[in-house]
Amino acid sequence: MGGKRKKSDGDDVEEAEEGSKKKTRTSAEKKEQLLPSMIKNKDKRSEVHAKLKRQKKLDKRAKAKARDAAAKRALDLGEEPPEKKVPRTIENTREFDETVCRPDDEELFAGNDADEFSSILNQQQTPKILITTCRFNSTRGPAFISELLSVIPNAHYYKRGTYDLKKIVEYAKNKHFTSVIVVHTNRREPDALLVIGIPNGPTAHFKLSKLVLRKDIKNHGTPTSHKPELVLNNFTTRLGHRVGRLIQSLFPQDPEHKGRRVVTFHNQRDFIFFRHHRYIFETKEVKKAESKSKKDKDGKSENVPEQKTIARLQECGPRFTLKLISLQHGTFDTKGGEYEWVHKPEMDTSRRRFFL
Amino acid sequence: MPRTTTLECSGCPPLRALTFDALGLIKVVEARDRQRGVPQVVERWGNSEASKCVTAVSMIDRNSNPLLAVARKNNQIEILSPVNGDIQATISDANDLDIRSEENNIVGLHLFAKQDLDLASRYCTLLSCTTKGNASIRSVEVADSSTGSSCIDSPKTWNVCSGGNILCSKVDGNEKFALFGGKGVEINIWDLNNFTKIWNSKSPPKNSLGIFTPTWFTSATFLMKDDHRKFVAGTNSHQVRLYDISAQRRPVLSFDFRETPIKALAEDIDGYSIYIGNGSGDMASVDIRTGKMLGCFSGKCSGSIRSIVRHPELPVVASSGLDNYLRLWDTKTRQLLSAVFLKQPIMHVLFDSNFIVKGAVLLPCKEQTQPEIMVNEEVEVSPLKRKKSSRSKEHILDGSERKKRSKQSKDRKKSEGNDEHLNIASRDKKSKSASKKRNKSSIPGL
Repeated sequence: MGGKRKKSDGDDVEEAEEGSKKKTRTSAEKKEQLLPSMIKNKDKRSEVHAKLKRQKKLDKRAKAKARDAAAKRALDLGEEPPEKKVPRTIENTREFDETVCRPDDEELFAGNDADEFSSILNQQQTPKILITTCRFNSTRGPAFISELLSVIPNAHYYKRGTYDLKKIVEYAKNKHFTSVIVVHTNRREPDALLVIGIPNGPTAHFKLSKLVLRKDIKNHGTPTSHKPELVLNNFTTRLGHRVGRLIQSLFPQDPEHKGRRVVTFHNQRDFIFFRHHRYIFETKEVKKAESKSKKDKDGKSENVPEQKTIARLQECGPRFTLKLISLQHGTFDTKGGEYEWVHKPEMDTSRRRFFL
Repeated sequence: MPRTTTLECSGCPPLRALTFDALGLIKVVEARDRQRGVPQVVERWGNSEASKCVTAVSMIDRNSNPLLAVARKNNQIEILSPVNGDIQATISDANDLDIRSEENNIVGLHLFAKQDLDLASRYCTLLSCTTKGNASIRSVEVADSSTGSSCIDSPKTWNVCSGGNILCSKVDGNEKFALFGGKGVEINIWDLNNFTKIWNSKSPPKNSLGIFTPTWFTSATFLMKDDHRKFVAGTNSHQVRLYDISAQRRPVLSFDFRETPIKALAEDIDGYSIYIGNGSGDMASVDIRTGKMLGCFSGKCSGSIRSIVRHPELPVVASSGLDNYLRLWDTKTRQLLSAVFLKQPIMHVLFDSNFIVKGAVLLPCKEQTQPEIMVNEEVEVSPLKRKKSSRSKEHILDGSERKKRSKQSKDRKKSEGNDEHLNIASRDKKSKSASKKRNKSSIPGL
């Protein structure tokens, strides 16, 4: 009905106005009239919609063909191929964040020297990790912990018993640990990780998800006991920098490169992806089918095998993702704690806003 | 899909705030524009060092010879000028007692504004209180250049608490009484002239389950400037309590606020509303007469609020905390006016209320404003503010009025200007001079 009414209105308006206005009006009306959602008849509507979609698909294919043809033509002519358009992603269009660390920020360095991790990161202290669980049993928890013990060097596992977490922190202080990791379980699955810095370091509470154990990974490798290299990607903001340093303080600062072991924490959209690989550098012959230099324009393309070094990876160890829920200023204290960063729903003001 | 809100931050009126952060830096944040200024860091004083972390501050906010005292983690107290940051006096090793093994930082500091007239502006007295309860009053010579100064007379020291840690200490508006409270320390009120404890609070009785929460006061503030009898204290178990000395030792009114310790309390200038800030970044304003919450300051504050301070004149309240931001809010609408990213966790913030924007706007008939000022100087409070209002007057009554420049016409214009000014003032609440002028012309109600 709405469509029909609009039609009649349009007619009236058509008669009232003249000239260019009429033209634009009618074209706009025509566009409006062709909207499939205005058709009440389901058969007709689905037909019109399917036609539209087909048309769109053909348009897209034609565009892609034209693009490739233009690129090929430009190559043949020896000109620069037209620029590849960069697709718009959420990471590209991330909201501007003023807390992003800049490389020339001396206050950042001063803050780094003053924070709780500086003694570990300056190699004045070697990290010693205490791993424990929550009070309840879990199916995959022990397997996860044994894998964590193999990933993080100098880590020790203690059973939880019925100790209070605050008491555990005290015991750890007395035994000169540098961090305590608590694997928290919910419904028999590990689902949160608490990383507490000792003596009075910050407490980070992460949500753990998508846990894949080593035995479930196809073609997995067994890690050795060399000290791993650490890769921390994309921790750009101040908060991200602090969390990055927290993670860095869990691992020793002098990696053994001959062990060829790498542990990666990759931050993307506030999710931290953990991967553990063994790598090996190999040289591979890569045939170049088409050379882009002007010299060979007229000559035939030659098959020149080139040597390229690539790194082959073999995944070992668990795979999981973390998301920071809160960062508390002192050691673990739910009641009396003050937070440096806690996620609140009112902070999610836009889909392009991330904190780490 | 989360609700997306794009609320533009309206700017703030001209103001100047000093922030003190965890590395010992003092940053001066100023908003220069008269209406919708964006505050920016204009100066930075100090070297960044973790041992110089600021633990307590106090400022005498007056026109002539303002002073700022800063206590640092290495037990040093510095007295600076808040105008240019020059160190005027230093007291190093403020702790006479040699307890180095435990943390004995200075938790409370207060510069006394009243001075002995014969000693004039050379000496200042300050009260400091450490975590272990050692309170001391000492006088320091303040010189113009930063010479190391020693105390003039031996500081009067006394112990405020027998055990436990002091976490909050405040001095009332008349500077006669001081309150101290902390972990395991009930709130004490001391008379500063006689150094006697006049009042001690008592914890509320066990609740119905028989559970007794130990005393742990994390923040406190006096309610009104001239009344030392009422004060509000916040506890570690997210409770806010109102005490009245003249009534009883137990709290008169207490209510709970969210779930984390109350880290900051500030009183409003109207004497009955307070601002609460807690450990997870929530801030609210409460009418303490009834205990009813007036509203929350919701914004993107994600870190614990360490300090809240209300501007003595403008309707602006500032909050700062561990999330490295200084936020300025409007008190009436509870909207965020602006947020400044300062790169370190901020321990304290203070307003400098003697900040007047002189205005760099040049007007076409500037020479005519000069005689106007000379005429009206004795009428108005300060020539600077007069300049501002006359300038805006010029804006309104331009062109046609330019011809008449006699004294009577000026007076007439002034009265007309008054009315126009008031109209503008009602629209534009943020103009400081307009508000001053409004007060001057004593229009009843608003």
